Amino acid sequence: MKVKVGIMSFAHLHADSYAHCLLTNPRAEFVGIADHDPQRAKEKAQRYGVQVFDSYESLLASDVQAVIICSENVRHAPLAQMAAAAGKHILCEKPLMTRLEDGQAMLAAARGAGVQLFTAFPCRFSPAFRQLCARVQAGEIGDLLAMRGTNRGVNPGGWFNDPELAGGGAMMDHTVHVADLMRLLTGQEIVEVYAETNNLMYHGNFDDTAMLTLTFEKGIFATLDSSWSRPRTFPTWGDVTLAVYGTRGVIEMDMFAQYLRHYDDRAGRIRQVFWGDNIDALMIDEFLRAVSGEPAPTLATGEDGYKAAAVAIAGYESVQRSEPVRV
Amino acid sequence: MVKVGIVGLGTMGRQHAEAYRQMPDVQLCAVYDHHLDRAQAFAQEFNTVVAPDFKTLLQQCEIVDICTPTYRHAEYALPAIEAGKAVVCEKPLARTLQECEQIVEAVRKHNTLFMPAHVLRFFPEYRLAHQMVRAGTLGTVAAVRMRRGGDFPRTKSDWYADFDKSGGIIMDLIIHDIDWVRWTLGEVERLYAKALTFHGLEHLDYTLVTMRLRNGTLAHIEGTWCDPGGFRVSFEICGDAGMLEYDSAQMVALRVARRVEAGQAGGVEVPESPAVQNPYYLELRHFVECYQNGQPPEITVEDGMEAVRLTLAAIESARTGAVVHLK
Repeated sequence: MKVKVGIMSFAHLHADSYAHCLLTNPRAEFVGIADHDPQRAKEKAQRYGVQVFDSYESLLASDVQAVIICSENVRHAPLAQMAAAAGKHILCEKPLMTRLEDGQAMLAAARGAGVQLFTAFPCRFSPAFRQLCARVQAGEIGDLLAMRGTNRGVNPGGWFNDPELAGGGAMMDHTVHVADLMRLLTGQEIVEVYAETNNLMYHGNFDDTAMLTLTFEKGIFATLDSSWSRPRTFPTWGDVTLAVYGTRGVIEMDMFAQYLRHYDDRAGRIRQVFWGDNIDALMIDEFLRAVSGEPAPTLATGEDGYKAAAVAIAGYESVQRSEPVRV
Repeated sequence: MVKVGIVGLGTMGRQHAEAYRQMPDVQLCAVYDHHLDRAQAFAQEFNTVVAPDFKTLLQQCEIVDICTPTYRHAEYALPAIEAGKAVVCEKPLARTLQECEQIVEAVRKHNTLFMPAHVLRFFPEYRLAHQMVRAGTLGTVAAVRMRRGGDFPRTKSDWYADFDKSGGIIMDLIIHDIDWVRWTLGEVERLYAKALTFHGLEHLDYTLVTMRLRNGTLAHIEGTWCDPGGFRVSFEICGDAGMLEYDSAQMVALRVARRVEAGQAGGVEVPESPAVQNPYYLELRHFVECYQNGQPPEITVEDGMEAVRLTLAAIESARTGAVVHLK
């Protein structure tokens, strides 16, 4: 039996990748699309050859078993609560929420309705990261001491630069992936956050440069650069890196350093052409299995999404207060 | 002939002696070291004499070059300045701020030539990056990331492992990058640091420092003395008109890998960046020419003190967990 899935909103650029994953996964039946922008819903439905719904309500009234939410960040909470009330399993784009109370409401709604709520953290599925975790757990670098992470990107523009819709800037957009990887790797919670931001890349009313210092339960510390500091001429979208320091050695991961360097005279630029595994596809596959009642050992839960987003939220509080804050 | 005397004949003393040997108008007239056997072998190698004590060395030379461990800089610098000698002193200027102030005061009082040897300013890659930033090539700089380090430095006396003598990784190692940031982008407003320095680990040190500059730029400095992968530096400077990056592990002009016979140790890959003159030569040549022409050196004694002040602030932040605001 194929899993029937709908996508709620294509505001986030990752929706196209997930749509592609659904269309190419033999477990999935991509039923259709609803969007608060009806024109976008129509265009995307046409492109993917699926049904267009005239409202979120009508999509949720259909026989889809699960939805993927790819709206603007601040709309995750109302959409997830609607989907939960309709009894649909949910995969929600990151960050799960931009305010703690929204996240709590989402978790409560899913729990109350008995549906599964997951957060879209595909980096968990990276073979490089799995390997990193396995080697750390095998004790290859001894006891963990410190970490240094980055998730930089080019500025995505659009609503991402509108704090009313995004709930923040670069720090809200890019903190959660690596914060989640650090939690997963250490098995420890982040208890304190110090953050510095500025807007010197784009000079807008949003942070484009952000550096966080994170302290874990048992004293491990880390920094995380979540800036939109990649220039327009950067050869790819950005990076996910994590260096892990232990008493007996170091492991450094550059998650997307599996590429060919393409000097493209036709486009007048140099680019990196990625050849590694499609981690979105790996994540969507496990989501489909989870909806079918199979275990989901790697997928990030709603709680995981909540804890990672809480780090970004604490970051903004730290910036306000110019001091480290408890998470 | 300019007469130079070197105090402290470890790694740095040797580097400096090699540099002077290439200057036809400089005579290494005397050397001095606590370890008499080391001093005698050194003097023989560099065709000079061992001064019986520091006072005698002062009488024999015009320039005093101090290459002792950090905690012994002031005890040699102060009498040299008082004797009216031109002094070049290894970084950090001194172990404590009080000693730095004494040195600054002495230089002002005796109106002598003095240069703290922040050799990084003479590394061509760092000098070029400084010049490009100052020329506005990158536009407004939003973020700087600098990395430096390798495995723990080992010497016979193991003074690097003694925090009271070396100041640990923050004072001894990343003072280079802290000085570069200040030289290139101006004064620091506040900083926040984490370090393994006070974790009671033997021959392991690591630090992550985030600084906010008065102009709003965020600077992230990583120092490691726990990476067995070999010494490596890198930096990345992000501005609103472009980005500069350098990584000594990736941009290598000459790579040497030797096959090792069975039973032998070694087989280490040594990346090299050959140049006509090394940075130590360029640095000391600059100072010798300042002495010859009566010009002030481009690194002032105050620069040396400010770099120490920032490292002490970072150490305080790492120790207390608080943000340190610079005045």
